[in-house]
Amino acid sequence: MNLDAAFWIALFFSTLRQTTPLLLTALGGMFSERSGVVNIALEGIILFGALTAAVVVERVEHTLGPGPHPWLPWLGVLSAMLVGGLVALVHAVVSIKYRADQIISATAINLLALGAPSLVLTYFYGNATNSKEVANRLPLWGPEGFALSPLVYLAFLLVPLTWWVLFKTPFGLRLRAVGEHPEAADTLGINVYRMRYIGVVLSGVLAGLAGAYLAIGFLNQFVRGMSAGLGFIALAAMIFGKWHPLGILFATLLFGFASALAIQLQGTEILPAVLVQAFPYVVTVLVLAGFMGKSRPPAAVGRPYEK
Amino acid sequence: MLTDERRLGVLVALGGGVLLLLWYLAPWAVPHRLFGGEGVLLSPFGHHLPQGSLPPGYRDGWLLWTFYPSLAWLALTLVLAWTPKPARKLYLMGILGLGLFLLTYLLFQASVAQVNAGAERPILRRYALGLGSYATLAYSLYLLLLARLFSPGGLAFLVRRRGVVVPLFSLLLASLLGGVIVAVMKANPGEAKTLREAAMLKLDLITYTYQLLYSPLVNPSGFLQSLLLATPLIFTGLAVALGFRGGLFNIGAPGQLILGGIAAMLVGVYLPGPRWLVLPLAILAAALAGGLWGALPGWLKARFGAHEVINTIMLNYIAASLFLFLISANEYKFFGRTLYLPFKYPGYEARSHEIRPEARILHWTELVAPGGELSFALPLALLLGLLGYFLTRKSLGHRVLMGLLAGVVGYLVGGLLPGPAVNFGPDLTSVRLNGAFLLALLALLFFHFYVFRTVGGYELRAMGLAPKAAEYGGVLSGRKIVLIMFLAGALAGLAATHYVLGGGIDEYRLKQSLPYSVGFDGIAVALMGQNTPLGVGLAAWLFGILLTGGLQVNLQLGISRELVAVLQALIVLFIAAGGFLPRYFTDPLRAAEVELKEESRKREEREETP
Repeated sequence: MNLDAAFWIALFFSTLRQTTPLLLTALGGMFSERSGVVNIALEGIILFGALTAAVVVERVEHTLGPGPHPWLPWLGVLSAMLVGGLVALVHAVVSIKYRADQIISATAINLLALGAPSLVLTYFYGNATNSKEVANRLPLWGPEGFALSPLVYLAFLLVPLTWWVLFKTPFGLRLRAVGEHPEAADTLGINVYRMRYIGVVLSGVLAGLAGAYLAIGFLNQFVRGMSAGLGFIALAAMIFGKWHPLGILFATLLFGFASALAIQLQGTEILPAVLVQAFPYVVTVLVLAGFMGKSRPPAAVGRPYEK
Repeated sequence: MLTDERRLGVLVALGGGVLLLLWYLAPWAVPHRLFGGEGVLLSPFGHHLPQGSLPPGYRDGWLLWTFYPSLAWLALTLVLAWTPKPARKLYLMGILGLGLFLLTYLLFQASVAQVNAGAERPILRRYALGLGSYATLAYSLYLLLLARLFSPGGLAFLVRRRGVVVPLFSLLLASLLGGVIVAVMKANPGEAKTLREAAMLKLDLITYTYQLLYSPLVNPSGFLQSLLLATPLIFTGLAVALGFRGGLFNIGAPGQLILGGIAAMLVGVYLPGPRWLVLPLAILAAALAGGLWGALPGWLKARFGAHEVINTIMLNYIAASLFLFLISANEYKFFGRTLYLPFKYPGYEARSHEIRPEARILHWTELVAPGGELSFALPLALLLGLLGYFLTRKSLGHRVLMGLLAGVVGYLVGGLLPGPAVNFGPDLTSVRLNGAFLLALLALLFFHFYVFRTVGGYELRAMGLAPKAAEYGGVLSGRKIVLIMFLAGALAGLAATHYVLGGGIDEYRLKQSLPYSVGFDGIAVALMGQNTPLGVGLAAWLFGILLTGGLQVNLQLGISRELVAVLQALIVLFIAAGGFLPRYFTDPLRAAEVELKEESRKREEREETP
């Protein structure tokens, strides 16, 4: 097995593709945690987003015919973002208004994401594991051979954008204040609950976007359990990236590289595929163990706020 | 602001309105139903008869005998709710309502028996009461609850029992939402001519779904099957509950279960030896491997401060990879070199070699009736064990030891006694319930004694309630975290004994179909059971029933069995939100406030009326 230039180029582009959903989700998780709400429901929200995108596109094709509809994948993306936001809103209401344990409430949503897709798939397609393939996937932008999904570009553009929003706008200042010291923020007239709702819903919208990327950008259908822990890895990347957009970019690139390497090594005789698949998860454990001590979460994260 | 008595009247009237609506819209009884759900729906306001007429020979006159008394009962209840001192009268009406429901049930059974009597094969099948009758039952219980709530000390009574109230109320809410889901997902069986008939069909569909879900309660083989499915849930539920008690969230039960399965397989397949040695060793190996896999994230948390939630989840994926690595192929390429593994059994399927007979956990028939004769070993062991425990008047250690010794003696003596021959039908013997169920019951006992009766358990609960105070009180928190996670992992690892050593998945092997996601179900079990051993046992059984019934729902109605998973998730969500009940049901401080207030009110009343 010789590792020639083609291998490295393929690895590079694969890294970009693998990083995209992680980056989107991790940036979302950052908004939520910066506002003081842990959101491990992102894993489930990715699944809901993917399911929505695949089913919406397929259903519209079913009524309008398969013929190319350039707008259709974007409708799928928007509906996935909407559903992602709504599911996150459930987590927000339960954990902000009803002061539930944020991890338990999010786990409930993750459990729901294991069961609910089967019901929807059985209803529409009569099988419990995957949706019908769609004809209208997201387009590829870029020169022939090196084209990437628009969501890949979007994800990387979001890094400076979120940095600007978080550190250069009044909104970002308020969001961070609410996550660091809600009592102080409250006395300054910031509506703690509203900021937290916004933070959590934003995280859901971005995770839904990541789900849409998986279903109609990366693949062309929904497959049960297709997120495979992406949401959790994204949270680890967010911790590793110290709740900062730039840090998150590098952290997700590391995880994306690990996943891409696993994919590129499959079918080669270097390492067995079943073991290589565990690679990103092992990296996550190592990273959390090695660097956790040095990164500091927002001070009020995980604590329900009471007026 | 309404006075308490007015509010009671309004609540009674609201419930009465719902009851009247259900009486009108829902069927009162379904004397016959086809496979797939379509039924003959009887209602005093007009039947819905898809075949055009009542089944031949069936008489529906009994319906009026319950309908008019029910109407009179409801009218009287509504009036009495507005008279002075209504609580005691409502108790009476509630009990009367229960009587009415019993009357309805008996009359209906008699009417069906009349037709079926004498026929070679029953003419009427899948008969049951309908939502209209069940509504009477529900309203009676509602009246009793209201009466208790509005008599002195009623609120404190409920608040004190919040550990039961919150899970049950969450179950009720989840079931209502589940009903809506069923209504949306599934088209009506049969045609409706009017809006009322459409509503009737829909309500009947929902009722039938839940009837199927809970059907294992009244069906012997379903009952055994529900215990079978409850077995691993007890273990994983305890694994999560132990973590919660110690302030840790163990989402790693699936991975710990996998490691337990691998270890049990290794010992069970490859260690030769007699039964008394190999079987305990295989079980211990499962516990140890699961425990170590659990201790790893515990150590990472204690040593590096890495959060256990993400680490346990990551270790689930890693365990799944390891599991597939061991049993999905026999040779692997490492950097061009070939590594040979002996674990996979030849063939297409990814599974291990068979567990040696010496290391298998016995099937339930062999425990209850070895050689076809009913054995007194287990009942006698239980009896003597309990006697030994309760009659010993010394320290806890002595009592447990005496209980164990007496249990062993009982088992040996009971094994010698001859018993009558019994013969179980194939529908019962085919259920693969096995001795792991007893192991699960022992695990419940262990949890109880360790958490609530030992110093170690006291420290564990202190860690969960107030980690800093516990540390100040002398608990070595780092070590304790590792220990808690080890024990939790060991409990989850033991769940694998049911699958691998007990043949819970059709074969005595480690197979790719090992349903390790029951580790996640353990979260729902622990929350539903409020982290108490009795609660975990009951919650595991409840989910075992629902999962068994889910199979029937899938077969008869074509609704995915994942409906049960959705119900579980909703239950977790609602319990997390405290059932959307007032704060004093979730916050211990506010609960204490309520109780104090009720106490002082009682005292005042006592002083007023000497």
